[in-house]
Amino acid sequence: MTVQLDARPAEVGPLAPPGGNVGDRLFRRLTTIIAITVLVVLGVMTIFLVTRAWPALRSAGTSFLTERQWFPDASPARFGIAALVWGTLVSSVVALAMAVPVAVGSALYVTEYARPAVGRWIGYLVDVLAAVPSVVYGLWGLLFLVPRMVPAQRWLAEHMGFVPFFSNPEGTYGKSIFAASVILALMVLPIVAALSREVFRQVPRQLREAALALGATRWEVIRTAVLPSSRSGVMGAVILGLGRALGETIAVALVLAATFDVNVAILRPGGNTIAANIATKFGESGSVGRSALIASGLVLFVITLAVTVVARRVVRSSGQASKMA
Amino acid sequence: MRRRPAVALVLALSMATVACGTDDNTPRTSGGRPSSGNFAGAGDQATLSGAGATFPATIVQEWIKQYKAVAPGVTLNYQPVGSGAGIQQLTSRTVDFAGSDVALKPSEQAATGGAGNVVQIPWTAGGLAVEYNLPEVKALRLSPNALAGIFAGRISRWDDPAVRADNPGARLPAKGIQVVHRSDGSGTTQVFTEYLKAASPGIWGFPIGKDWPAGTAGTGAKGSDGVTAAVKQSTGAIGYAEVSFPRQAGLGVATVRNKAGQYVAPTAPGMSAALGSAIRKPDGTLVPDYTPEGASAYPISTTSYLMFYASGADDTKTAALEHFAAWALTEGQRLAEALDYAPLPQSIAGPALAAVTP
Amino acid sequence: MTGLTMLRTGRLGRAQGVAATLAGVALTAVLFWLTPFQGRADFVVVAYVLGTVGYLGAAAREEGRRSVVDRLAGVLIATTVAVVLLALGSVLVYTAVRGVKVMSINFFTHSMNGVGPRDSTGGAYHAIVGTLEQVLLAAVIAVPAGLVVAVYLTEYGRGRLAGVVRTMVDMMVGIPSIVAGLFVYAFWVLGLRRGFSGFAAAMALSILMLPIVVRSAEETIRLVPDGLREASYALGIARWRTTLRVVLPTASAGITTGVMLAVARVTGETAPLLLTAFGFDAIHNDPFHGPQSSLPLFVFSQASSAFDTAVDRAWAGALTLIGVVVLLTVAARLVTLRNRLT
Repeated sequence: MTVQLDARPAEVGPLAPPGGNVGDRLFRRLTTIIAITVLVVLGVMTIFLVTRAWPALRSAGTSFLTERQWFPDASPARFGIAALVWGTLVSSVVALAMAVPVAVGSALYVTEYARPAVGRWIGYLVDVLAAVPSVVYGLWGLLFLVPRMVPAQRWLAEHMGFVPFFSNPEGTYGKSIFAASVILALMVLPIVAALSREVFRQVPRQLREAALALGATRWEVIRTAVLPSSRSGVMGAVILGLGRALGETIAVALVLAATFDVNVAILRPGGNTIAANIATKFGESGSVGRSALIASGLVLFVITLAVTVVARRVVRSSGQASKMA
Repeated sequence: MRRRPAVALVLALSMATVACGTDDNTPRTSGGRPSSGNFAGAGDQATLSGAGATFPATIVQEWIKQYKAVAPGVTLNYQPVGSGAGIQQLTSRTVDFAGSDVALKPSEQAATGGAGNVVQIPWTAGGLAVEYNLPEVKALRLSPNALAGIFAGRISRWDDPAVRADNPGARLPAKGIQVVHRSDGSGTTQVFTEYLKAASPGIWGFPIGKDWPAGTAGTGAKGSDGVTAAVKQSTGAIGYAEVSFPRQAGLGVATVRNKAGQYVAPTAPGMSAALGSAIRKPDGTLVPDYTPEGASAYPISTTSYLMFYASGADDTKTAALEHFAAWALTEGQRLAEALDYAPLPQSIAGPALAAVTP
Repeated sequence: MTGLTMLRTGRLGRAQGVAATLAGVALTAVLFWLTPFQGRADFVVVAYVLGTVGYLGAAAREEGRRSVVDRLAGVLIATTVAVVLLALGSVLVYTAVRGVKVMSINFFTHSMNGVGPRDSTGGAYHAIVGTLEQVLLAAVIAVPAGLVVAVYLTEYGRGRLAGVVRTMVDMMVGIPSIVAGLFVYAFWVLGLRRGFSGFAAAMALSILMLPIVVRSAEETIRLVPDGLREASYALGIARWRTTLRVVLPTASAGITTGVMLAVARVTGETAPLLLTAFGFDAIHNDPFHGPQSSLPLFVFSQASSAFDTAVDRAWAGALTLIGVVVLLTVAARLVTLRNRLT
């Protein structure tokens, strides 16, 4: 607007009218109260969650972390999250391993290769990919992808079977952790792609121009100018994608065949995740069973919370880094 | 301010949608409805919600549809969530009735307020089919030992000598066997494991019960529906469910060798023959005989139970349930064979009917 | 920078590049014809590899090593875009093809009351009503609350409390949807003994909506130029009236976009509804009492069936759901395009 307004530091905000009238004070108090209410409601819900989880946690003790089976309503009850946590982590990590290269590649295409109009359209399409509901991914994965993936899985097992990851001596294929990871990869892809795209956009134009002036090829510009200054931003995107993958429920519940073992071979049918287990076991659970499911949900909550905190840290540091650049 | 008309339009549209749907799914083209017999005149108004076993789900859903013509005022709803969940919901009184393939355990009876507080009557009978997905093999035959070996994880390939011995001449593929079992607490699982224990005690060393035992082969799926879907989706898979599931889904059903050495398919006469030797307990529940003598008897045959509170619940609902049960035990049994269930023998249906006729 | 990179042109002509690529593909065809290679998928993979090798080989003849690396990177990056487009295309096209086959007036006007898995009758009417009510209720809870929190953060938020609120909102973004369902289940369904209902589902959805609404509203409110506020103050208008009358209307397009994206996101949510709305076969218009169905739940329950009729219904439900969600997303984009604040 005017020169002297722009001269003020941004965090001071606009000049406030002198004094405050009654309406102002009321309005301020009202917004504060509502903001606090939201906090309180969430706090109360967390307390309820912990209270409901407590009976199962107390009765299981440390076996809650080490036991693989899930028979909370049997007597004696045997249940624990070892297999579930394993499945959750493995499927998410494998999904990221597949999704991140594709996501970063397509984001690079949009910012470094495509004409602006084409880039914008690819951006819209990635948004649509993000908008497709997870139950649709699950349905499509179950009935379209998994049957068509059997040859690929067999090929991997037969040619890469010496790696314990891909071994499958039984020779049965279908609803495996690997299949679930592919679906998860599709769901994580748009998040990582959209965020990386924003990160690449923020790389200062001068950096690219400097590299080009030195005679760099397009790839060398990416390697020397774009990627180094956006490393932590992309890392943040990847961690946010991880958070999404860890908590995904329905698509995984549809694509995984429930088993409860800690299994390195990701091509063998079976596997389970915390979220999918809640969705499939919920309806039939008795009081201990529900408590146990809530306790496992609490663990998932803590894991994703930790992931979010790390992502926040990384993204914040990247913000500073790009400002400095 | 610009958006007001748009918001109003959305609201009006939703209102209009809310007003134009229908719950009536009776096909308009259907010929006649089954005769309501002596059951006309049930004028009760009641909404009865039930949950439980997936085993009887096919016939129960057909009953609910046809019972509408008998008692238009009564709305029934049955959620096939598994026997375990059904009993769970009955004890916490979140449903009016439950279906279960196995009778209440003493601890469960205590949870419902003591023995006899809940009426449990057999309402349908059926066979537990071994369903498989092998395009190469049209008629799979299995002995109890092969069956137990497969489900225990000892036999992991289709061309295993034990399976070949049962199927001379069949082109068994050199493929792995993918076992699919129930992941939820299930009466079907209890019946199946009871059968394996009774027919092949040497091989089946695992515990019996509603939960599929740990340490065995295979992957889990939810409900008979889920098991059948999982078997259908992968070649080389084998699972177990009430006969109507594989039949409707177009899956292969194995014939199982009985005590007389015959390979028998789960047909209504075969199931009825096996049910004849079930032992009837004083409280009206049955102990199935998994090693029946008859040459035509299908060994994995069982009954399924209807359970509801005899007292301490809404009297109108109890009366309506008794009326529905009586209808299912008489008129309803005529639907059994067409839906791949077995009609209850008179020796079982008679006492059950007496229990629900005031 | 695209313009700048255009300045560098390699010596490899376009026609040469295309020819070399085609030579690679042709070689693949010959291989598949003469040797035991077979299969459509195998052909695509081998043709891709040999085509790329041909292209890079031609480049290597004309240009230096750096240029070959550059072209290889270009091929790989273009491939990732192809993968994205292929994935999106096959999800949308396959769902559309399978869904359209079953969709009929009957599907939109009938419930699943008394429909067995094998019956081809029945529809998603009850689920559509449930979704409409639940999402509407969720928006009624989350949008005003989210706006107020955003106003608090932008106009008043200073000090420690604001920091806590902001952190909390950031944390909420990461809450898995099933955990949001567990919150409401433990608190409302079990804790307060209110049972399953559409309203419980709406509460779970509002937990998921709130952070999206707060963030987008906060972002757009911050974009409102301070000069507008100051002009209003100069006219003697109190701060709260300025906020309501000047700031929010100016930011309305951005806020609308955020709300629509939030609605689109929660419309497709399934996991929290399993624990809160639970699902019901018949029409149940009252969202405050008793279990209710919704479109995602409908798709989920039909999808896990072994019977083709049920699976067909799942596809039709999925197509309906995609239609609603994608329409909302596209509409949200259009709103932003029309009223760019910046």
